[in-house]
This record gives sequence, structure tokens and C-alpha cells, in this order.
Amino acid sequence: MVSGMFARPFLWLLMLLAPAAARAAEPALPAGFSAVGELRIAGADGEPSWTDGGFGKLRAGGGADGDFRLKPRLTEGELIWQPRFGWALSGTIVAGAQRGQEHAVDLIEAFATWKPMPLGDTRLSVRAGLMWPPVSLEHQGAAWTVADMITPSAANSWIGEEVKVMGAEATVSRGTVSATAAIFGFNDTAGTLLAFRGWALHDLKATAFGHQRLPPLNAFLAGGVQAPATLPSVELDDRPGFYGKLAWRPAPAVALEAFYYDNRANPEAVSPALQWGWRTRFVDLGVRVQLAEHTRLLAQAMTGSTRMGYDEGYGIWVHTRFRAAYARLSQDAGRTTLSGRIDLFGTTDRGSETGPQESEEGWAATGAAAYRLSPHVQLLVEALRVDSRRGARLRLGLDPRQVQNQFQAALRLSI
Amino acid sequence: MLACASPAFAAEVSVEVRTQSGAPVRDAVVSLYPGGRPAPLPAGRRSYEIAQRNIQFSPFVQVVPVGSIVAFPNFDAVRHHVYSFSAAKRFELKLYAKEQNRTVLFDRPGAVPLGCNIHDNMSAFIKVTDTAFSAKTDANGRVSFAGVPPGMTVARVWHPYLRAPGNEVELRWTFGAGRAAEQVRVALRPPPPRAAAY
Repeated sequence: MVSGMFARPFLWLLMLLAPAAARAAEPALPAGFSAVGELRIAGADGEPSWTDGGFGKLRAGGGADGDFRLKPRLTEGELIWQPRFGWALSGTIVAGAQRGQEHAVDLIEAFATWKPMPLGDTRLSVRAGLMWPPVSLEHQGAAWTVADMITPSAANSWIGEEVKVMGAEATVSRGTVSATAAIFGFNDTAGTLLAFRGWALHDLKATAFGHQRLPPLNAFLAGGVQAPATLPSVELDDRPGFYGKLAWRPAPAVALEAFYYDNRANPEAVSPALQWGWRTRFVDLGVRVQLAEHTRLLAQAMTGSTRMGYDEGYGIWVHTRFRAAYARLSQDAGRTTLSGRIDLFGTTDRGSETGPQESEEGWAATGAAAYRLSPHVQLLVEALRVDSRRGARLRLGLDPRQVQNQFQAALRLSI
Repeated sequence: MLACASPAFAAEVSVEVRTQSGAPVRDAVVSLYPGGRPAPLPAGRRSYEIAQRNIQFSPFVQVVPVGSIVAFPNFDAVRHHVYSFSAAKRFELKLYAKEQNRTVLFDRPGAVPLGCNIHDNMSAFIKVTDTAFSAKTDANGRVSFAGVPPGMTVARVWHPYLRAPGNEVELRWTFGAGRAAEQVRVALRPPPPRAAAY
């Protein structure tokens, strides 16, 4: 059933606005500024979204009885400022307004890039500041937008919500090989959401100052141990973490990547606000293949672990091993890009507070069509089904199995 | 096309470049060497242009004779930092927004891939040629030459994504006087995937 009294008029508004936006005169912002905005309508069935404090795995959730509910999500947008300081030095500052965030507007990324002219075949680039590590193959551009889809894979949803660092990163490229190394701080809580909620599929991005809500915790953890929301950008133990990446292009149409991350957080570190250090490590392998001129394949596989708390003789409080993989095929047909993606994900818990009975297994299938109305306007529709089984839900008297379907349509404007 | 020498019994040659599956290949540079030697370059136009417009080079492939001056006008509101590290020409140009007077002399034959240090997705190629019969194919994969001397001709077909050493294949054709039509089948690599813009 479709409820939400504004849903249908909103859909009509979207249809009416699309051609008008495409015809609009060349929009212009002051030099160095750009913006991305979305008008979106989203509908889903199943449980309320995790952003509303539940175990729902999507950004939208169903009605009170889990039936399909369609809702307009009027405005989301990001303003990007990329000043240049000379030929080699530039900055990227992104502020965004996303529904479901703690603050109406928050800082999303702020980093400087130094890219001197290549020395022959060798080139160097350095980034420093608040930024996402280069893990996702799905995101693009300064606004870190998912190309031709709305919802990123489970793996990159997690990168977007929890794995953002304050650090310095250097990349050296020579020929078909590039190597990246970075040290960072302010990412000691990475893993909190993943361990307590499990995997999710959504495009909500971590902000510099905002908290992300956690699902209901067990009595011990909720009883003055762990805050009910996690702050992704926080430094608790003054121990820097590191990440590294190797990328190789064995053929012009094939790109391979291997990435390793270790935040080296002290799992016993805790702030007065009850934010804990989560020792999180993971490895990610990625491949991008241009199968034909208009056909490309993206795939990533990730595995790692996160640990938090004390070991009181029964194992550390929370110890979650996690894994996720996806494969995505995209086909361009004129101004339309069709994409299909399959996600597989799971966690294995072995902590004293979150034991094996809390573990998770699941899969998701996503199909999307993106139609380019003009160089500045893209219309996207996306359907997603996620089917998972998570033991932690039993604690709340919920069926461990959860199936959700989500439909979204968005008008994406970029200037 | 760069020149039309007109010896008495010259051939008019049209060349069609297609992929193995029959799709026309645009921006393939076909160069003819009558008798295996470069046809002398005519005195004449020696200035060309590669524009920067909408954060991309235009055209994607530019054929210029050896000794040409190429201008790099910037029609964007942002700066571009154009460079090449090719064997045929190494240079870098700092182009301020709307500045139109930067030029480079291309004095050796070869392929010159262009990049912009600020915008990684910008890509273009200059093919510096030493023969008068050299031109690129149109959207239908066709190019034609007038005034080609009869007899054996070495033809080279180059494309940035052509699957061959140096991105080039060499063929031998023999022309009489009058019209001749040749078709070339080439294998192309898919274009390189767009770099993620971190």
C-alpha cells in the first residue's frame, strides 16, 4: 500500500521539474564553487530505517506495520569549494545537508591536495585533511557521489558512514602502477555501527561533527558503557593509524586495487562521552574492467575485524569479523545507463557481550537506471531488495530474518 | 588533409577504417607514403589549435605536419595545466582562464598524448606527421586523399586505442590512376576507464 499524502503530488512535481531543469539556462556559481543537489522520493517496506534507531538496513523504512510507504525527501545538497593556491596546490571543502543527520548542515570533507607536475613517467600527489580513504570504486567527484546509482554497495555504505580519517596521504604513480600510503587519526570509533547494527545499504555520509544512531544495545552495554550514538570523527588514544593501497592497470581496460586499513585504536580507550576505541583492520580488493566501450564491471571484496572493550577472561567485549563483496555491471545506452549489482555480506561475532548468536548473513540485489536530461541534470530510479538474517535481533524479540524492498527516484542536479 | 599534389596520373584514394565487428572508427589517422617515402610537405598552413572547453580538449585527435605551431586556447573559466611527456614533444603550459596565446612548436614526427595536471579526465592526442598525405577519419570512419601518385604506397593507420605496437598498423597498397577505395579493419582496445576523482 502506498501511504504518505504528499508522495503522489511529489512524484508529479518531480516529473514536471525534470524537463524544466534540463532546459534551464547554463547555471553558474562563482569560480571554484560547485554544488550537487537532489530531489528524491523514496519508498520502502519492512522495519524503520536504522537512521531512526531500528535494525532496518535501508535509508527508508516501511510504515508502522511494515507495509510499503512512499515519502518525499525534498532537499539534499552539497556545496563544494575547490580553491586553487598556485598550480600544484588546491583545496576541497564540502559542506552538506542530508536528511537524517544530527546537524542540518555539516562539514563532510576538508582537505588540501598537492599535485606537482609529473616527473616524466612518475607522478606524485599528496592529500591532507578530513577525507575518505580511496576504497570505493563506486563513488566519484568532489561530492563523493555514487555514479549512476543512488545507493552504494554494503561495503561502501560502511566506508561512507564510518571510515573517514583526518590524515596525510601520498600517492606515487609510475606507468601502470601506483602506491598510496597514509597516516591518520580521528577514526578510532570506526566499526561501532558495523558491529552493533550490521551491514546496511544507504547513501548517508559521515559528517565531521554529527553522531550516527546505534540500534538498541544489550543491558550491559546500554547501562552506562557505550553511548547510544557513535561519532565517526574522534581521536581517543593519540595513536595514529595507517592505510596503504596498491593499484595496477595490467591492461588499459583493467584496473586492480588492493587496500589495507588499520586504525590502531586502543580498544580500551574511552571518552567521557562513552565513545570507545575500536581496533579496526580490513583488507579490500577491487577490480574495474571496461568490458566494451559501453559496458563496465566493478567489483570489490572486503574482509576485516573490529574489537572493543576489555577482556575479562571470556574474550574481549565485542569482537566482530566482517566481510562484504559486490559485483556491479553498468551498460550505457545513449543517455541512459543501466546498472545491476549483487551484494553479499556477513559478520561473525565472538565477543563476550556479542557472541556467535548475534552474527549476520545477507544479500542484496539492486537495479538502477540513470537518464541524463542535460549535462547538469540526471534522473535516477532504483529498486533494491535486501534479505538478511541477524541473530542480535532475537534479543529484541524480532525474527532474525529481515527482508526489505526499497524504491527510489531522484533528480540529481549538479552545477 | 594536408596537401593535394597533382601529378599527371594521380589517384583519388578513399579509405574506410572499421573495427573487426564493422563499426566505423573515427579519429584514426591514415598516413600515405608513396613509394615508401614521405610525400613532401607543402608550404602552407602551419598553425593549428587544440581548445580547452568544458574541461576537455577539442578536438580529441589533431593531425599536424612537422614544423607546426599549435595554439592551446582556454575557453573554460578554470585554469588548465597542459603537458606531454611524449618522445616526440615534451612540454608544459600553464593556461590561465580565458588566456588564448600559448603555443607550442611540434618539430618531430610522432604521437603526442596530452594531459592536464589539474583535470585527470582530460585527454587528447596530437599526431605529428611527416607526409603530406595524412588525415583523420570522420564519424563514418572515412577519409580521402586526392593526388596520390600511382604505384606502391605504404599506408599507416594510427589510433590512440589501436591494438598494435605503437598503436599503429602498416599496410601496402598499389594504386593506378583514377579512383581507389580501401577498407582497413582494426582491433581497438576499450578506452581506459575513467579515473576515480578522489
